[in-house]
Amino acid sequence: MFTRRIIRRWQGVALSLIGIVATLWLGLTGQLALYIHPRYFVFTMVMAVIAAVLALAAFALAPAATDEHHHEKAETRATRWGWLWPAGSILTIAAAVVGLLVLPPSTLTTATVSQRGLNGSASALVQNDAGKLAGGDYSSFTVRDWASLLRSGAGADFFAGKTATVTGFVTPDKSDPANVFFVTRFVVTCCAVDAQPIGVPVYHPGWQNEYKNDSWVTLTSGFRPNPNSTSRESVVLIPDTITPVAQPAQPYVY
Amino acid sequence: MPLPATDKRGLPAPVIAAAGPAGAVRGRSAAGLLVGVAVLTVLFLVRFLVPTPADGAGMANAARDFATLSISVVIESLPFVFLGIVLSIAVQIWLPEGLLLRRLPRTPFLRRIVLSLLGMLLPVCECGNVPLARGLMVNGLTVAESMTFLFAAPILNPITIITTQQAFGWDNNILVARILGGFLIANLVGWIYSRHPRPADLLTPRFQAACAVDDHHGGQQGKSARSVRMFVQETGAMMPALFIGAALAGIIQVAVSREVLVTLGSNPVWSVVALMLLAFVVAICSNVDAFFILSFGATFMPGAIVAFLVFGPMIDVKMLALLRTTFTSKTLVQLSVLVALCAAVLGLAVNYVH
Repeated sequence: MFTRRIIRRWQGVALSLIGIVATLWLGLTGQLALYIHPRYFVFTMVMAVIAAVLALAAFALAPAATDEHHHEKAETRATRWGWLWPAGSILTIAAAVVGLLVLPPSTLTTATVSQRGLNGSASALVQNDAGKLAGGDYSSFTVRDWASLLRSGAGADFFAGKTATVTGFVTPDKSDPANVFFVTRFVVTCCAVDAQPIGVPVYHPGWQNEYKNDSWVTLTSGFRPNPNSTSRESVVLIPDTITPVAQPAQPYVY
Repeated sequence: MPLPATDKRGLPAPVIAAAGPAGAVRGRSAAGLLVGVAVLTVLFLVRFLVPTPADGAGMANAARDFATLSISVVIESLPFVFLGIVLSIAVQIWLPEGLLLRRLPRTPFLRRIVLSLLGMLLPVCECGNVPLARGLMVNGLTVAESMTFLFAAPILNPITIITTQQAFGWDNNILVARILGGFLIANLVGWIYSRHPRPADLLTPRFQAACAVDDHHGGQQGKSARSVRMFVQETGAMMPALFIGAALAGIIQVAVSREVLVTLGSNPVWSVVALMLLAFVVAICSNVDAFFILSFGATFMPGAIVAFLVFGPMIDVKMLALLRTTFTSKTLVQLSVLVALCAAVLGLAVNYVH
């Protein structure tokens, strides 16, 4: 009964602390961008610090302020949901420790690319209107800008003579995986949960022998008509050199 | 005195006695703080000492993405949950008692409208509203009025509105439909139950006894101590739901095939039904549910998103568990069916107008 009471009473604070420590650590080591949009960084860190102070105050003041007797009943009533038996609580806490404090932080992978459909989200691509893009400074274009242009239906004529420098991770093309891969990025609106994959097709037969899925590459190349006319992608990049790079600090685009 | 063992607050005498000498309290506080700092240090040590290989520790991609998605829900939601808790502590403990109830209009209809807007001043999500509504009933609100408050407050509340706006902007009028829909449904429920001949029958017998010793009346304790206790209570109610909800969100994202989601999501009727079921099961707080459902925005029709955002804050597994402390099972079944029908109609309307 004693353990049970301790768990019931402290599991919220324990889970809070796990979340706070994970947040602060990600913030201090510059990895918050793996999970949330940069506009939340300051707010997230400030709330984590405030919550940490409150949690420590709970440890300091709660024993003195506890009136076990009547309070005990209130808690029993308030939290008796099916899955929330003490075992469930311990499991939740253990899972939170593993998920937030033990696992290495990571970006989303090609598994989510295929789950969500590459270049399948209108909102991730239409946002940059093609009219503005068409006259822009091509040297500063991102994967997202090029993907938007490709999707907007600009033909091979438009792309002739234009050079793109793009960085992203390698995702196989569904229709022609032997010859084409995509330089892929995720577009994030709020946090990684809403990430939508976008990418630019690269024609490089036998690429699978050189580059692994999910590995990061950077390349500079002009756009050409796709030599394989059966492929779904009509315009592709055909680079001379592809350089493997480390995953950038901000793997997502916004 | 005829009250030998307990004082007015119903506390057993030994607790009072134990908290008596200031020195003992200070000693226990210092010890408690030490425990807290120790726990915090251990957690930090774990995080800093565990090696973080760049290749994801050999996990399969799907497992990695499950973890990443779930973690991102937690990291994104946590600050908003904490903000809600801090504000609800401020409103319930640091504002003068009764300040909010004093100036309500007399006409029942207007009273309910004002009460449904009360959430604007009490930015707590649905889990925080149940104890609050109980307190309000003790202070003289009718059952129907408390229901209106209970269902409107989680939606008509600044944090929910801000997060919904952040997540969806003004796309497809999701934000407007959510606010108006929540307001109308809450007032409709209030109106229907205001016509109940014996409103007391809607409440559990235990409720009267329970609220008689409700926390809001433990006024003699220091405000800081009560604030801290409320923090413990609120995190206890919300954190498990948040973490489990995040894990569920991650699993659904990874495991349910895209084809199923797209097929369900593009059907005007089934998309609404599917997301309402999801809302009922995941039981995520209204403060942050917009972030949760955002990932479905690309595949599901806007009416389904609206139904999720309106139904979820009012009825879900967690809310039913919390509401069972106050209302009878029969009342809750009626309420669930009523709210579900309203939310479905709203969602379908948005889908077909869209």
